[in-house]
Amino acid sequence: MPSLSFSELASLDYRRPEIEKGYANQTLYVNLSELALSVKPVTEEMQRIFVGGRGFDLWLLWQAVDETTRWSDPENALCISSGPMGGTPAYPGSGKSEVATLSPLTGSVMDSNVGGYFGPYLKFSGFDSLEIQGKRATDTVLFIDGIDAKIQLLETAGLPNNAYALTNMLTQHFAAGKPRSISVVTTGPGAKNTRFGCLNFSWYDAKRKCARYKQAGRGGVGTVFADKGLRAIVARWEPVALDSNRPADKQTLKKVARLHSQEVVQLDPKQNEMARVGTTHLVPIMNDFDLLPTHNFRYGQDSRASLIGRDVFKKLFDPGFDGCWMGCTVACSHGVRDFVPLTGPYKGQKVFVDGPEYETIAGCGSNIGVFDPFTIMELNFYCDAYGLDTISVGTSIAFVMECFELGLIDAQHTGGMELRFGNRLAALELVHQMAAGEGFGRIVGQGVRRMKALFAEKFGVDALALQDIGMEAKGLEFSEYMTKESLAQQGGYGLALKGPQHDEAWLIFLDMVHNFMPTFEQKAEALHWFPMFRTWFGLCGLCKLPWNDIVPEDNADTPEPAKVMKHVRWYAQYFTAVTGRKAAPDDLIAMSEAVYNFQRIFNLRMGYGTRAHDKLPYRAMGPVTEDEYTSRQERYDKQLREKHGVDITGKSTAEKLALLRRFREQQYEELTDAVYRRRGWTADGIPTIATVRRLGIDFPEVLAVLAKHGVTA
Amino acid sequence: MIRLDDREIPWRSGMTVADLLESVEKAERYAVVRVNGHYVSRPHFAATRIPDEAEIRLIPMIAGG
Repeated sequence: MPSLSFSELASLDYRRPEIEKGYANQTLYVNLSELALSVKPVTEEMQRIFVGGRGFDLWLLWQAVDETTRWSDPENALCISSGPMGGTPAYPGSGKSEVATLSPLTGSVMDSNVGGYFGPYLKFSGFDSLEIQGKRATDTVLFIDGIDAKIQLLETAGLPNNAYALTNMLTQHFAAGKPRSISVVTTGPGAKNTRFGCLNFSWYDAKRKCARYKQAGRGGVGTVFADKGLRAIVARWEPVALDSNRPADKQTLKKVARLHSQEVVQLDPKQNEMARVGTTHLVPIMNDFDLLPTHNFRYGQDSRASLIGRDVFKKLFDPGFDGCWMGCTVACSHGVRDFVPLTGPYKGQKVFVDGPEYETIAGCGSNIGVFDPFTIMELNFYCDAYGLDTISVGTSIAFVMECFELGLIDAQHTGGMELRFGNRLAALELVHQMAAGEGFGRIVGQGVRRMKALFAEKFGVDALALQDIGMEAKGLEFSEYMTKESLAQQGGYGLALKGPQHDEAWLIFLDMVHNFMPTFEQKAEALHWFPMFRTWFGLCGLCKLPWNDIVPEDNADTPEPAKVMKHVRWYAQYFTAVTGRKAAPDDLIAMSEAVYNFQRIFNLRMGYGTRAHDKLPYRAMGPVTEDEYTSRQERYDKQLREKHGVDITGKSTAEKLALLRRFREQQYEELTDAVYRRRGWTADGIPTIATVRRLGIDFPEVLAVLAKHGVTA
Repeated sequence: MIRLDDREIPWRSGMTVADLLESVEKAERYAVVRVNGHYVSRPHFAATRIPDEAEIRLIPMIAGG
């Protein structure tokens, strides 16, 4: 390996603006092909309509690309933003960064949010957003030095190949003795060699004296980063205080921040103990309710789930403060100290594993039939270090394991690997292959949608069988919740803008367990309100966990307990206190609605965004195989008899399976109709002219996209 | 005597989580409870016995993900 070197390709000295009511009022533009660095203003209209965060990302991306742009084109932009409240140290969950780009998996717009210090440091350095276009053939690092008000593009050599070593090295290299002032965005070799590369966003853990990271995992944002020739983006900033955002009303901000922060401190220990166990508390609960995906989403329960749940990770997690942003009292970013991998380049060495979270446990554990926490931790560690999304990795491996078990593919296709559920070493080997772009892992790294096409075309597998069990929609792999028994969550996944990811709508408990929304209209209402409110967090640079993962003790007595309106009101006050823009809870929904509809139209512009793209594989709706049916026969028989009025006497399992499928697919279509109506969309899922006018996004270019698809006044 | 959140409730032999929740208003809102630090989900309410002097918390499980 060559020795470490950095040589300057381009630089920009800039005047760092004062942050004003949460905004720097300018964005940083980088073109890697042209070695251009420049500063763009944020307009009043941009603030008013797109608010910040994901909204700014989308607006910048919209202008950077056209309908012919593909993810690997130099014109594709990778955008990263904070948001007006991003970087507030007193309010829980205020450090999120939002990433958006055209996705290698879906071909359309992808957004992904992540903790770590980068977004706030970017903003305090003087930029609400970072927009990167172009490509470099050689390793490049972008250094945003907010303290010295200087941007540098650096050509590098001698950097470590993986994100684990790279993040720690760059933190020390740029820290000037103060590692806490550094946040690094990195990926690893897997990002270059697959379509589901993730990005790691770091912060320095002063107690453990190492850089830690969280992941912008979904949709291959890391693959775009690697394809551009970027090895890292480094932001340098200090100090951070409540005044850093120069809030409009500091006293109100202090008051509402204290209320929410103290409530979390008081109630989290009585509720889910996220400050101690993170999101691992979900594992046994999901399992009890038949919602924990096992064996490629066939089933929702396994007797071994307790081996990978909260009680185990409570013992494994290294105790201590684990907030991914300063002062967050939810502090759920736990990790495992001194873990020793059994395989790969870190075999036999002690490493720190950031995680696992619920999604990784379910994706790289139960869903591939692995109920060993140590294998899950090793998969977690290497996915992060290689820059791979643990959700897409887990769901893709689960798919090929089921294909193997069903005999649709065999050892000749897999390079000799026996890809049976529970084969821990094979799962690890696949991840190492994905990182290297070798063997069968190279194929798995293309994601479920492309594997379906390849298996059908090259291996002669029945395409319809693959479609039923391949858990992707819009090209994105499912995140890790069972949806068969929750029609609302089917909509939460299928009708989500970017694909089946729970950050837009997580309605399983409200629908299936609490039965809060028995009718189509109630489900449609939920599939309006919840995606909109969840979107709002992404506009502002916030984490949604403090909203409804810790809830007030009297919440059950409120008229709409699912919405946790006490917290929604606090968020409205928080928004007003920082930005000075008067906002009531309904205004937050309206802000999101504009951005949400804009993103839907962006999908349309890129050749997607219609009803045909909102379909789900049947595995998400109901039992595909007779085994799945008979495993829950009492449930399904009862539904056929009582809900659908079918006399099942004398009917074979195959006949009942087909009947149930017909009903469930019909239900999904009816739900789709109801949701489109509620959202103000046509029957084909396109926002109407009246909707875009009401939301103030009736720009000429938006109207042109709608007109091209037959939607006119 | 057992403690349910911040109030005391008489204990009786054989008492289950399901029995306890019969005395709780809007019990349907709680899909999970914590008994002496151990989480119990609704499918196990009827089969989970509560020991005397147990500390019980009702978990308002509405989120996740």
